[in-house]
Amino acid sequence: MTLFRHEMKMNLKSLLVWTICVGGLCFGCILLYTSLEDSLQDIADVYSNMGAMSTALGMDKMSLATLTGFYATEIGMMHGLGGAMFAAILGAGIVSKEEAGHTAEFLYVFPVKRTKILWQKYLAMASNILLFNIICAAFYVLGFLWMKEDMQGKEMLLYHFAQAFMHLEIGTVCFLISVFSKRSLIGAGLGVPVILFAADLMCRIIPAIEKVKYVTPFYYANAADIFTSGKVELEMICIGVFIVVAAFIMAWIKFIRKDITA
Amino acid sequence: MSDKYCIKIENLTKLYGKNRGVTDLTLGVKDGDIFGFLGPNGAGKSTTIRCMLGLIGYQQGSVEILGMDVKKQQVEILRQVGYMPSEAMFYPSMKVKDVIRFAADVRKMDCAKEAAMLCKCLEVDTEKRIEELSLGNRKKVSIVCAMQHKPKLFIFDEPTSGLDPLMQAEFFKLVLKYNEQGASCFLSSHVLSEIRKYCHHAAIIREGRLVCTDTVENLARTNTKHIRIIKDGREEEFVYQGDLNKLFESFIGHDIADIVIEEPQLDEIFMHYYEEGNHDAV
Repeated sequence: MTLFRHEMKMNLKSLLVWTICVGGLCFGCILLYTSLEDSLQDIADVYSNMGAMSTALGMDKMSLATLTGFYATEIGMMHGLGGAMFAAILGAGIVSKEEAGHTAEFLYVFPVKRTKILWQKYLAMASNILLFNIICAAFYVLGFLWMKEDMQGKEMLLYHFAQAFMHLEIGTVCFLISVFSKRSLIGAGLGVPVILFAADLMCRIIPAIEKVKYVTPFYYANAADIFTSGKVELEMICIGVFIVVAAFIMAWIKFIRKDITA
Repeated sequence: MSDKYCIKIENLTKLYGKNRGVTDLTLGVKDGDIFGFLGPNGAGKSTTIRCMLGLIGYQQGSVEILGMDVKKQQVEILRQVGYMPSEAMFYPSMKVKDVIRFAADVRKMDCAKEAAMLCKCLEVDTEKRIEELSLGNRKKVSIVCAMQHKPKLFIFDEPTSGLDPLMQAEFFKLVLKYNEQGASCFLSSHVLSEIRKYCHHAAIIREGRLVCTDTVENLARTNTKHIRIIKDGREEEFVYQGDLNKLFESFIGHDIADIVIEEPQLDEIFMHYYEEGNHDAV
């Protein structure tokens, strides 16, 4: 597991920065809720009646007048998108960085099978995503406890499970892209989650493209849906599992045959 | 030197899409040899080395390293090989000592003693971060990583580029020391003087094809002469390959004040091989 430990060490700073930024920001917003509460109660009705915009952001289901509603709409969006960006940047760079940084001829001449290298890199990516989600969730739980508010434990757990899985799915898709590339892919890393997030918003508003919900993982990990229904759609999770497994297998097939030329 | 081959390449052909990598290359390096691999930029030296290490696949031929097929036993081969790439790059944020320890840890070996000796010989500052190092200093770290596990075979891709002359000498001192202990060495280079000084055998590659392979001594022994002449009051200097009688015939009718005919420098002979379609006279 030397390569796994090495990857974890290499990504520690990035993990801390993203966790503090996303988790800390959302934690701050939870604490700020008291000062916003009065004004939010006044405008909650307005927000819930903004038609398509309310539907897209889940404000037709949950009211901003409660902390849980505020969490499921505003905080949920920040956490989901921030975490997806972290996962995508991590996944998009974890393999391609070796050739982009010319370290491939150092790393790939050790007596370690390529399958093992790929597996340990993937495990490091998955561990970083899991740690990010655990630490962020701890921040939010702390926020709720601080505010002495009921946090709907079961829904909270389901929501964070769905978020972690969504981040893993996005990370894995970017991991696959990373295996095919010899260059740094920060642009692609930022683009993938933004496109998927936009796809989620659009498919909620436009009935004609409703099927897009099967493509974007933001759909099944939507906080407002989970907090109102108390469940995650199993069908969607199964599609997500299929995408994760298929993307990893494709990455493996490519990686073991790949010419390392840098 | 034993009769067993530590490197045996037969009819190796590697294409990058439609672009040429190496074509029908056959090469053998015996156990205990220090083998020089010469060629101009883009000739296919690095491609050949990457095929030897299994970093890239190839379309035709076979590559055996230490008696093992590189496609089937790559991990076992890499366990017994010390490789130094031409671009000695590491993770910029890591300290030198961490890079060296990481290289040993991945091999599941304790190389601390050997690494300390190598760092002392090469004057490597192990407390510095990689991002603070010049190319030459990164090369030294790369040498330590390639040598610390005492491999049976060294493969160096342009090892001395970026090293100062003192460090180059130190590097070859280490190569000779490991060679005396039984290790073989395959090194690609542009620097003909170091091939002449340290290698037993050499091969020349040009445009992906092997031009020749022999002992360094035999490669230098040709019918090429270095000529200095004062002809018709003008001094001329050139390298001539071919029948000397024909050269003297060409002097008839000219006023020859002085002529010196001597063995050419090894560099001049190698340049002859480098130059395309020029096999009769240089």
